[in-house]
Formats: sequence, C-alpha cells, structure tokens
Amino acid sequence: MTEVIARRGFHGPSSEEAIEAIHNELDALWDDASFVPDMDRMTFATAVIEAAANIVQHALPVADKPVEIDVDISVRPSRLVARVSAFNAREPFANDMQANMPDEEAESGRGLALIEALVTTVTFERQDGTNTWILTRNT
Amino acid sequence: MQFSYEVNDSYAEVKSVGRLNMVAAPKLREVVAEVVAGGSSRVVVNLAETDFMDSSGLGALIGCLKAARQAGGDLRIAGVQPQVKMVLELTNMDRVLTAYPSAEAAFGDD
Repeated sequence: MTEVIARRGFHGPSSEEAIEAIHNELDALWDDASFVPDMDRMTFATAVIEAAANIVQHALPVADKPVEIDVDISVRPSRLVARVSAFNAREPFANDMQANMPDEEAESGRGLALIEALVTTVTFERQDGTNTWILTRNT
Repeated sequence: MQFSYEVNDSYAEVKSVGRLNMVAAPKLREVVAEVVAGGSSRVVVNLAETDFMDSSGLGALIGCLKAARQAGGDLRIAGVQPQVKMVLELTNMDRVLTAYPSAEAAFGDD
C-alpha cells in the first residue's frame, strides 16, 4: 500500500450542501499537507468539485433510496488521489459522459472535458449500484 | 457566495465574492438578469474576490454574456484570480470572456 500522508472525506445526501462541504474538506486537506504546491491544489480541487457536481446534477436514484455522495481524498508521496462515488445511483447516460469541449455558446457540458484536462488519470467504475470516479494527479 | 451590484454612468459592476460553483451560478444569472432588465446592458463582473469557479460558474457567465449582448451591450470580467484564469484557458473561453485588470478598465476604452 502506498503511504497516505493526509486524508479527508465526506459522505452525505447528494445536494448543493454536499458541494460546499466537500470544498471545505479540500481546503482542510491542504491545511494538513501544506507542502502541496498551489498549482496541484488548484487543479485537483477543481477536478474533484467537477466530479461531485456532476453527481449532484445528473445522478438518478436506482430505487426509492436517494443518491448519496461519498468523497475520499488523499495526499500520497507523489500523487493526489480522489474517489468520488454516487451510491444508490443508476448507470450514467452516455450523454452525461460526453468528454469533448462543447462550442463556445454552450452554457453546460464542459465538466468532464475539464476533469480530463486537470488530472493525470480518470477512471470510472460501476459496482452494485455505485458509480465511482477515481481521479489521480501526479505531483 | 454573495453578489452585489452598483450601477454607474457607463456600466454596471457586479461583484462576486466566494466560490462561483453550481450553488452560486443560478444566483449570478438572476443578479445579471436584474441589472440588464434595469437598463444596464454594459456589465462588468468583478471576480477579484472569487478564488474558485467551476464549469457551472463558467456556464452562468456565458449565459450572462449572451443576455447582455441581446440587450445591445456586453459583459466583461475583471480581477481574474489564478484558478479562474486556469478554467478559462483550459476551456478556451478566455478568447470569449476577455479579462481586464479592473472594473474601471473593462469599459475604459469605449
């Protein structure tokens, strides 16, 4: 196992409040790992918030249980890792997985392309009604 | 996140303070719509105190730009901080949303 230098997390209903709470956890993570350069903080935090916002805006519940969001963010010796999960969620629609930058008049649809531009690797997993984005950024 | 605005002779300045994310984006749209409906279609969004913007915030700025142009004016941004600059560049929107050093400079040339 790779050594974890600092770790923060969030678990709660998929809502606007979750976005603010996750952002606060990211800020707290940088307080715990103050050596992480500004550029890495900025890019990684933006990618994590984009992934979480994608869940809040698009994830639909599988049954009558509401979607819950879970975020695990960690600082490791040479990389930053985030697992951003939607519990009780349906499989995303192909349209929601569009990763090309739309034209300049578009008012939405840039989130995934932005995530890909910000991190080193993006992995998507689906297992037992849970969608998980794994984002890593080499530092 | 909060927004406030001030209308002066040649333009209206909308101040955005805090994170311009999916929570704040609809509020920015409302504020700019109110400013434009009030007769000020030359709008500067001052981002000097906005240290974070995501794609929802960017989408709101684009929507506000379209609203200002439809009313015969324009929307410009000022005081852009490093994270916002990064998002504008990675999405190639820095060519559409021109950044000015200050609100005064944004409409200073016309």
